This record gives sequence, C-alpha cells and structure tokens, in this order.
Amino acid sequence: MTILYDEGQQAIATESRRVLEARVDKDALLPLLEAVGEYHRPFWDTAKEQGWTALALPEAEGGLGLGLIELGLIAHQAGRSISGAPFLTSGFGAAKAIELFGSDAQKARWLPGLASGETIGAIAFAAGPDALPARPDVTFTDDKLDGTARGVSGGLAADVAIVFANGPGMPVLALADLAGTQRSAIPSFDNSRLIADIGFIGTPAETLAVGGAARDAALHILALQAVVTAHEQTGGAEALMEIARDYALTRKAFGQPIGAFQSVKHRIAELYGLVELARANCIHAAAREGAADFITAAAAARLSATEAYDTAARDCIQIHGGIGVTWEIGLHLHMRRARSLAIEQGSSLFWEDVLVDQLAGEAA
Amino acid sequence: MSDLDAYRAKASAWLQSMAPTFGRDARKGLSEADDLALGRRYQKAKFDAGYAGINWPTEYGGQGLSHLEKVTFDAEEMKHGFPSFYFGISLGMPVPVLMQFGSDKEFVKERVLKALQGEEIWCQLFSEPSGGSDLAGLRTKAEPEGNGWKINGQKVWTSWAHYSDYGVIVVRTDPTVAKHKGLTYFWVDMKAPGVTVRPIKLAGGDSHVNEVFFDDVKITDDHRMSPVGGGFAVAIATLMIERYVATDSAGFGPHLDLFVELAKDVQLNGRPAIEDGRIRQQIARNHAMRAGLDSINVRARLMMQAGMMPGPEGSLNKLVAVRSRQKLSELALDLQGHDGFLFDEHASQKEDWASSWINAPTGRIAGGSDETLLNTIAEKVLGLPQDHRPDKGIPFNQIPA
Ligand SMILES: Cc1cc2nc3c(=O)[nH]c(=O)nc-3n(C[C@H](O)[C@H](O)[C@H](O)COP(=O)(O)OP(=O)(O)OC[C@H]3O[C@@H](n4cnc5c(N)ncnc54)[C@H](O)[C@@H]3O)c2cc1C
Repeated sequence: MTILYDEGQQAIATESRRVLEARVDKDALLPLLEAVGEYHRPFWDTAKEQGWTALALPEAEGGLGLGLIELGLIAHQAGRSISGAPFLTSGFGAAKAIELFGSDAQKARWLPGLASGETIGAIAFAAGPDALPARPDVTFTDDKLDGTARGVSGGLAADVAIVFANGPGMPVLALADLAGTQRSAIPSFDNSRLIADIGFIGTPAETLAVGGAARDAALHILALQAVVTAHEQTGGAEALMEIARDYALTRKAFGQPIGAFQSVKHRIAELYGLVELARANCIHAAAREGAADFITAAAAARLSATEAYDTAARDCIQIHGGIGVTWEIGLHLHMRRARSLAIEQGSSLFWEDVLVDQLAGEAA
Repeated sequence: MSDLDAYRAKASAWLQSMAPTFGRDARKGLSEADDLALGRRYQKAKFDAGYAGINWPTEYGGQGLSHLEKVTFDAEEMKHGFPSFYFGISLGMPVPVLMQFGSDKEFVKERVLKALQGEEIWCQLFSEPSGGSDLAGLRTKAEPEGNGWKINGQKVWTSWAHYSDYGVIVVRTDPTVAKHKGLTYFWVDMKAPGVTVRPIKLAGGDSHVNEVFFDDVKITDDHRMSPVGGGFAVAIATLMIERYVATDSAGFGPHLDLFVELAKDVQLNGRPAIEDGRIRQQIARNHAMRAGLDSINVRARLMMQAGMMPGPEGSLNKLVAVRSRQKLSELALDLQGHDGFLFDEHASQKEDWASSWINAPTGRIAGGSDETLLNTIAEKVLGLPQDHRPDKGIPFNQIPA
C-alpha cells in the first residue's frame, strides 16, 4: 500500500480536524480531571455520528471498509485536541479481535454494536507493568474467567472485553460480556481515560484463540492499537510543537520574542524532528497492516511517537515558563495524556523488547 | 566522632522525637490551614530546641553556627516529611536579606524573631507578567508621595503570598533610565490597604502561588532597602543567597533507593526489572550524576567552612538534578505500567513517582529556568558572549513593548 495520502484521506484529516476543533476545548476537558469516572461525551457522540467507530471495519460487519490509515488520521486529530474517550482505540481493537478470531455467531452478536459505537469495547491484556504477561493474572477455566484485570483503560464504561487470560497450561484470548463483572474506578492522573479494575468472578467467557496462537493474536491486536495510539501521540506532539512555536513568537523577554533565543528556537526545531519521524513511522506502520513486518513497523511507530509526545510535553511547558505550569492553561492535559498513552498499549520498554526480538528473528 | 557527627546524632535524635507529632503520618488528611498551623507549631519547636536560624547571627536569635551544621540538619530533617515548606522562601531569602539590608535594627530584630518562630511569613515579590526571567523588565512602579512612596502594579508567581505577613519587592522608580538602573528594593506589609492576593492553581492541583495586585499602596521611605535606583543589585544579592540554600541531588524528587526498590519489585517482560540492562544503566547513570552533585555540595560546604568562596559549579544542582528527576519519574511510571495509573494528588513528591513527575516542570522554571541557568553558566562562568539584547542601554520607557 502506498504511503502517500490520497485526496479522500486528506479530506478525512481536514474534516475530522474541523469537527474536533469546533467541539472540543480545554475548558471542557479540565473538569474531567477532577471527576473520577467521567469522560468527554461530546467526543464520543461525535465519533459515532461521524462514523469513526465504523471506519476501519469491513462493510460486511457494518463497517465502512476503510483501514488503519484512515483511522490513524482521525486518531491524529483526536490527539491534537486531547479529545480521546479511550474507546476509539480499544473499541477498534476489540472489534478487530472478534473480526479476525471470532466465530460467525460472535461477529453477529458484537460487531454491529461496536461499529455503530453503541457497544463499547475494552482490552484487558496487561498485568501491572507487563503489557502481555507470560502468566496473566486473570484465569480461564471451564469457559469462566476469574481474577482481576488491573488498570483497564475505558474499563469503567465497556460492555465487552477481550481478555488475555491464563488457561489450563496455556494462554487464552477470551471474549467476555462485562455485564456481570465488578468494576471499580481508579483515580488516575488522567481521569478521563475511565481506568478501572475489572473483577471477574466466574464470568462466562468464550475463547478466540488458545496457546501460542492466543499470544500471537494478542500481540497483533496490541500492535494494531499501538499504531492507532501512535497516531494519537503524534497528533498531541504536533499540537504542542505548534503551541510552543506560537508562544515563542509572542512572548517577549529582554526586548525580543523568546523564539529569538537559540536555546528556545532549537528546542522547538528538535520537536519538529521528533514529530516528523513519528509521523513517518505512523504512516509506514498503517500501510504495513497485514504484511510480515507489521509488528516491527508498529513497534517503531510506537517508540518514536512516545518519545515525541513526552518530549513535546516537557519542552512546551518549559518554553512557557511560569504560565506553562498553571492549571488554567491546560498544557498539563497534554502532559498527562502523553503519559497515559505511553503506558496504555505497552510502555517503551515493552516495545523495545518486541522490536529487538523481531529484528533478531526471535518470536516475541 | 567528629563534632559534626555528634551534631548530626543529636539533631537526628531530636527530629525522630518530633516525627510522631509533626511528621508525615501526623499530617495525613490535614487541610492546608491545619497543616500550616501544625507547621507553625513545628517551627516554634525548632526554635525552642535551637534548630532555627542555625547559621544566622545570635544577635537576631540565630544559633551562630556554620553552613555545615545547617546543611547537616536539613539533610536529617528531610527524611521525616515535616510541614516546613511554608517557611522555605521566607527564611530562605527575604528574611536574610532583611537582616542584611534593613535599616531599622530594632524592627528587623523583631521581624526576624517572629519569622524564626513561625509566627510571621515573608514572600518574595519579584516576578511579573512581563518580567520573569527578565527580572529587570518589571513594570510595577513606585512614585514618590509625601515622605514616602505609592506602589501600583501587579506581581505574579508569588509563593505563599496568601499566608504572608510581609514581602520584599522590587519596583520601577524611574522609567527614563536603562531598565536595571531604575529599580528600587522595598519591603511591604502584605496586609496594607490596596494589596490584593489571588491564588493561581497549578498543573499538579495545588495553589501555593499567587497573583498580587498593588493599588495605590502607600509605604514610608523607611521601607526602602536599597538606594533609589539601586534595587537591581539587592535583587541579585537575594538570588545569590538562593544558590546554596536549596540543594538536593534528587532534584526534590524521590531518592534513587526508591527506584532501585521499584525495579526489584517489578517484573519486566517476565524478569525482575532490576536485571534489565536499560534499567541498570539508568540507575548507574543517575547515581553517578547525583553522587557528583553531592560531592560538589560537600566540597562547597567545606570551602565555606574554611572561609573560602565555593566555585560556581554549585549552580549545576537544580539544572542537572531536576531534569533527570523528570525523566527518571517517567521511567518509573513506565515500570509500574497499569499499576501506575493509581494517582494520589496529595502524595509526597519525594516518595511518589507520579507526584514527582507531575510537579517536576515547576522545578525547571521556578527560581530561574533551565535556559537562564545555562545562560549564566555560559556567560558569567565561561565568558561566552551575551545573546543579542535589543533593550540594552535603552531607557525603559523607550523599549518597544
Ligand atoms: C512554582 C513557582 C513558584 C515561584 N515562586 C516565585 C516567588 O515566590 N517569587 C517570585 O518573584 N517569583 C516566583 N516564581 C517565578 C519564577 O521565577 C519565574 O516563573 C521564572 O523566572 C520564569 O519567568 P517567566 O515565568 O516569566 O518565564 P519567561 O521569562 O517568559 O520564560 C519563557 C521561556 O523563555 C525562556 N527564556 C527567557 N529568557 C531567555 C533568554 N535570555 N535566553 C534563553 N531562554 C530564555 C525561559 O527559559 C522559558 O523557557 C515562581 C515560579 C513558579 C513556577
């Protein structure tokens, strides 16, 4: 697949940006930080209304038949406006897991709702720091899940979860209706992510994949989500770079705009480098979906996007001086989001290991 | 045992005896007002036990000891999480400056004693919306009135102004001369008519900095602490005092031991994180950096003890330590993974990685930004040329806004 955006794709980027800029602003986002369990509903309504939830799913399953490239373009814009409800990424991941590994009955049951956005999907793979643990905390026996999935993004509102669980002697990728589970909200530094502990107590679940195939499937889903997230991170980093540039043009010290000081100027120029490398890796990774080197491409996108967003958050705040650390100006919204996104789909440490395993020709 | 070791042992024992009443656990769940009240009682207890103003002259109620005892005490004190930060600025800069430059000795003595006992708090009113790094760019003005002055304008980022009784302030008294030549240094009564304090909420959630508005605030000329037009030099003297007051190679974040503990506890891709080369490298590099800063600080103290001036390398502390604290905290969050989402906004920056991370940016800006510190090192220490400064030598009122 080409890595040049065509006209239709560019139109998606422009239109989603226009819509989001009109509907999301920091004053709506700041209060979410102080409430546990609230997310930005206007964003999710927009996502549903605009068809973003259906975008990258096959037409046969109620989707629009577009792909990771288009979804990535929207995630990029969502990142610019810090406007995630976490479900765009995890809902996509959940839907892809069912589409790729589910039975016809499972597809019929879940995909239309996930495509329309009426059903919310979550991914519960991690055990604490481990994004894809050798021995998951949640166990799967006799088609039932037990144990707690900790810190699941979007977990508080999700209807269905894809769970990486510890089956008898081997891992299992399982599908669980969350209706009967016990959920508790986690007060977090990025509260609008709706992070929750999900307690499974004999929760009925169905298998999507078992053994080595379960692990491969989970890694593939994680990589798909990582590519979407990398776009979101790159969008956030790009927005911060522009905010920093604009501020450096207007704020004056010692009789001139601070952007005239080389230390400030170079800091912003370095951000440009990080953002463009991340963007290039994102475009490449989205185009490699289905190719043998997809995991490698996803890892590269994820690593460079995480670096770009964390660094942009640090530097943009620094360039603002005292104003940068105030609650009102809201740059900390980006700083918080940079960190939650850096952790959600496996940290840099995880993706570095995956990447080196791939390059060294070892199975991850 | 050296004298200093004996001093340390005695201080440590006293601090331990105070911890149940004033330490970390005693403060859990207190409102800020109650915590401040506890802080005042703790400061009074320190004074009574001879641990307030350790290196200040005895004629002002200090202990007349050296920097060495002071730093030794501070290092021991830091371990217990006492409510002492309300007095950090007050006793750090304004009150020492008052001792040095205040004209009415009786008045000064009374203020110093009250500040040392936690009864009164002082703030530092330097920064303004248009002048932070560019200290001499400030616009708040004082005009002669009667036998005194009338102040009008706005200050910003004033730490603890909402609890302060007095403040030291730099204002413009002559806009027709070059910017740093038209400044004068005063002290002000924060409760005087016309002073309004408005808190600013910070990114981490707390509000210890403020905007302060001056609206026809009248002061008599005995509030003046510098020659008219000579305020910049006293302001610089104030900032110089800051240099060795605050030193902590952890960048005011968690000690490296806590990172090592975390790395031992956590599994990273199936192995203890402490066995991972990347984690080992960060621990090693952070240790080397912090050890270097500690050694610089100890050497500086020994030099001061011996009556010598410490070298400029002391200015590296904040610059190097806070930046690496920021990145190490990010890494610690990565290591905690999904368990790291749990966040307590009131957790201590010295013990909690998320709290350390969210508050780190302030440390890179307050008390001189990274860039300002690098400029100082480049220009003042290494003799490199100054940046182009179009406002240089131009009368303040002719600099284009
Ligand atoms: C938590 C906190 C507490 C504070 N407490 C106090 C207090 O009690 N009293 C008080 O008076 N002040 C206080 N300050 C103010 C602090 O000293 C200033 O915020 C700081 O000096 C930076 O000034 P500024 O915010 O105006 O940023 P600016 O000066 O606008 O700086 C913006 C950016 O430009 C860069 N820059 C500016 N000049 C140059 C240059 N010449 N070369 C290269 N880069 C440059 C800066 O490094 C920064 O990145 C506090 C600040 C904070 C955040």
